[in-house]
Amino acid sequence: MPDKATLLKRAEHAVELSKKAGAADAWAVAKQQRSVDTEYRDGKLEKVQESTAQKLSVRLYVSGRYSTHETTDLRPVSLRSFIAQAVALTRHIEKDPYRTIPDAALFKDRPRVNLGIVDEKVSRISPNDRLAWCRELYRATRGSDKIISSTVGVYDSASRMAAASSNGFSGTRDATSLWMGGEVTLRGEGGKRPEGYYYAGGTGFEHVPNRQALGKLALREATRRLGAIKGPTKRATMIVEARAAGRLLSQLLGAASAYHFSQDRSFWKNAMGKAVVSKKLSITDEPLLRGGSGSRHFDDEGISARSLPIIDKGVLTNIYVDTYYGKKIDMAPTTGARSNWVLPIGNRSYEQLVNDAGSGVIVSSWLGGNADATTGDFSFGVRGHLVEQGEVTKPVGEMNVTGNLLKLFGKLVALGNDPWPYGPTRAPTLIFEDVQFSGA
Amino acid sequence: MSADITRRKFIRDATATTAALSMPTFLEACGASRSAAGGTMPSESNAGHNPFADVFGIDDGIIRRTLAALSSRGADQADLYFQHSLSSSLVYQDGIVSQASTSIDLGVGLRCVVGDQTGYAYTEELTEKAMRDAAQTAALIARGKAAVGPQQIRHTGLRKGFYSTKVPWRDVGIDKKLPIIRRAAELAHRRDPAVKKVEIRWSDGESRVMIATLNGTVVYDERPMARMYVTVTAEKGGKTQSNSANIAGRRGLEFFTEAQLELVTKQAVDRTMILFEAGRPPAGEMPVVLAAGPSGILLHEAIGHGMEADFNRKGVSIYSEMMGKKVAEEFVTIVDDGTLEYERGAINIDDEGNPAQRTVLVDKGYLRTYMHDEISAKQYRANPTGSGRRQSFRHSPMPRMRCTFMEDGPHSREEIIAGAKNGILAETFLNGQVQIGAGDYTFYIKNGYRIEDGKVTEPIKDINIIGNGPETLRKITMAAADGHLDTGGWTCGKNGQSVPVSQGIPTVLVSALTVGGEDA
Repeated sequence: MPDKATLLKRAEHAVELSKKAGAADAWAVAKQQRSVDTEYRDGKLEKVQESTAQKLSVRLYVSGRYSTHETTDLRPVSLRSFIAQAVALTRHIEKDPYRTIPDAALFKDRPRVNLGIVDEKVSRISPNDRLAWCRELYRATRGSDKIISSTVGVYDSASRMAAASSNGFSGTRDATSLWMGGEVTLRGEGGKRPEGYYYAGGTGFEHVPNRQALGKLALREATRRLGAIKGPTKRATMIVEARAAGRLLSQLLGAASAYHFSQDRSFWKNAMGKAVVSKKLSITDEPLLRGGSGSRHFDDEGISARSLPIIDKGVLTNIYVDTYYGKKIDMAPTTGARSNWVLPIGNRSYEQLVNDAGSGVIVSSWLGGNADATTGDFSFGVRGHLVEQGEVTKPVGEMNVTGNLLKLFGKLVALGNDPWPYGPTRAPTLIFEDVQFSGA
Repeated sequence: MSADITRRKFIRDATATTAALSMPTFLEACGASRSAAGGTMPSESNAGHNPFADVFGIDDGIIRRTLAALSSRGADQADLYFQHSLSSSLVYQDGIVSQASTSIDLGVGLRCVVGDQTGYAYTEELTEKAMRDAAQTAALIARGKAAVGPQQIRHTGLRKGFYSTKVPWRDVGIDKKLPIIRRAAELAHRRDPAVKKVEIRWSDGESRVMIATLNGTVVYDERPMARMYVTVTAEKGGKTQSNSANIAGRRGLEFFTEAQLELVTKQAVDRTMILFEAGRPPAGEMPVVLAAGPSGILLHEAIGHGMEADFNRKGVSIYSEMMGKKVAEEFVTIVDDGTLEYERGAINIDDEGNPAQRTVLVDKGYLRTYMHDEISAKQYRANPTGSGRRQSFRHSPMPRMRCTFMEDGPHSREEIIAGAKNGILAETFLNGQVQIGAGDYTFYIKNGYRIEDGKVTEPIKDINIIGNGPETLRKITMAAADGHLDTGGWTCGKNGQSVPVSQGIPTVLVSALTVGGEDA
């Protein structure tokens, strides 16, 4: 992989070429990634895929106009021609008074804290390591006479990016990633073949649990699905397991952006500064989280990273604002894209929460569904378990949960002490009261 | 500057440069010749000639030597998938078209298959050395003696096929697109005074692929794609609603006629305005009438994925042991077809080089054929069905749907709605998902109506439907003779790979599905 200086030079060179070709301003990003995806099924290697990818993208500001371009062809002559033509093309779209390069003042005070997102050991993983780990994971998934198939996998990658702009931005980011896990399909009743999976990982080895445990968890997830029934149609308490919380939060915050505000397509639009959801809910965008998959020192626009409370005790305090849409709605840029989300931790364990709920439905994963960004109306397919008299009982599937996101989060009554440690959302088990389920 | 400097020039030059520069090494070595300016492709070419010589700058010698390296440790099958994609997009927002983007993607994917094991690598650098390195990496999956590589390379011609356009997108200037986008925006604004915002996302482009296989055959395809996506936001009585519609296909500029613009803007505005009146149906199990066209999403989720042979050869699909069995009423015939002209899911050849075909999944109620790629076809001793597809040269192929639809049935739409008695009519959809083994699938209804006492009544919105694939097939109790394909474009995701697909269906009745409604 090219070193940081080489990659940064590549980006700076693209900015220079853009200026020479007539751009008033330019922003260039050079990326490089190497990854290996290893799949092992039913006792042997299924697929090994090795990737080395490179890409250069430029954002051009040409006499009040704007366009973006990307290419994988990085040879010098190709690049010069590519950029010259890109600048020429930009002149043919319409002028936009809101489009300017991000303000250089936003680049100041860039944090220097070690993000802990590079694990050097990831780059030293060998094909033999991957094979040995796959075998270990695979053996751990084999603990049932009902197994039809189990597939395990190891994914590792190392990436590097460098960005430069005509108004003085310059920065690089390195990151590694390592994920392992498996999925198991069992012979169920009535011709059904229930499946379960468990993958864990993050930016390095410290995020990957013991492989024995991981394989067993995959098998456990499948075993938990045996004998699933269609649950009842009723209003009930919903217990969203930590692993499933991320998807729900993505739907909740998806429309909390200047883009959605500017297009009148956000149910958050008149909520700024108001208490609109439960006081139990706080969500902070935390780009400096150590080891977080979304951690960074600066964002896509070079804006220096800082902790950004989105929802504070039920009050909408910030939304995602980039330079362009911020100008459209007259709001100062915060950041245009999420990093990590961190939620406060409750003081009860998952088991205690289930016990205290008495009755309800546990959601361990979602199946399809969607939400309307403009109104917040949602409906999702769910699978999980019934809770009866404080105990987890039958597995359920073929059910939907339906409502409105703001109303749903108004009924958030408790959070667990078990934040999901994998990926960019650190959310614990969430308990909602009085939620509409549809089933049999 | 004149508007004559078009995207045509922009892309052409970039393409020509690409081809010219990828070649020097082997040009000197092999003396291959190159025609004048790169870019234009003949719509037909004679077999025996490499129509993409300029695009990739790859000659027979490189193909032969790279395939030899790829199969140096043995291979039942090996292929090189060269791809050059150019795409561009434009956004109309707040009254102007002020966002444009372009993308150039060039590379080759190298695959070595031994039994059902796959080694895969790709490179974006089309030099012989980079390709040899990638070939050696992909070959590591194998542990045997070298396979016999091709002694001769046989080029098949570039066929006119199922989606020839008048002018390739790389030769269409931005000046030709802007008036179409502005006209669509005008139509959408005009259609209802409550329309406050109109956003139009335009995308176009084409992908040229060249696939060389271990037996020395080299096949080609040139695949255009275009889409106009219209999103409308309207305000009425202090409330805001938004919705969208799109038209898409393997089409050229000529597709975007006034009639098409009227269709897509009417759909977008009407689907938005009806939301002001819409509520939620009751929750629970009830009869569901699926309107003709877009409801083909049912087939995609309830049976399509489950019939992809990779899931079946692994035994993880709920349909794994149902081949030849009766799974639906006699009037149910479900087809996956890659040969439908101009459809998003159309392909002249699949991404393993096999010709596209019409594959009957369910024939008069009986489960008939899985969708195969080469690996599964070999395992089942069946013929490949032309279903091996991939997102790009960065991915290895697997069985995928193309255009999935159900043939017409014996009933009428009126009979079906009356037959539903009390339930819902589903009309437009956003997305769906399936669990292959358990067979549970869902799709999300954006617009629809309640059916009360056999009549269509109030509009409904935003409900998820969940069912079980095989159970749903059994519960298709009526089908009308009004089948057609959806005019909007769909993209199917599987194992991290997205491919364009199409779908369609006549009006059908499913006697019971779980509707994500709300009880008062």
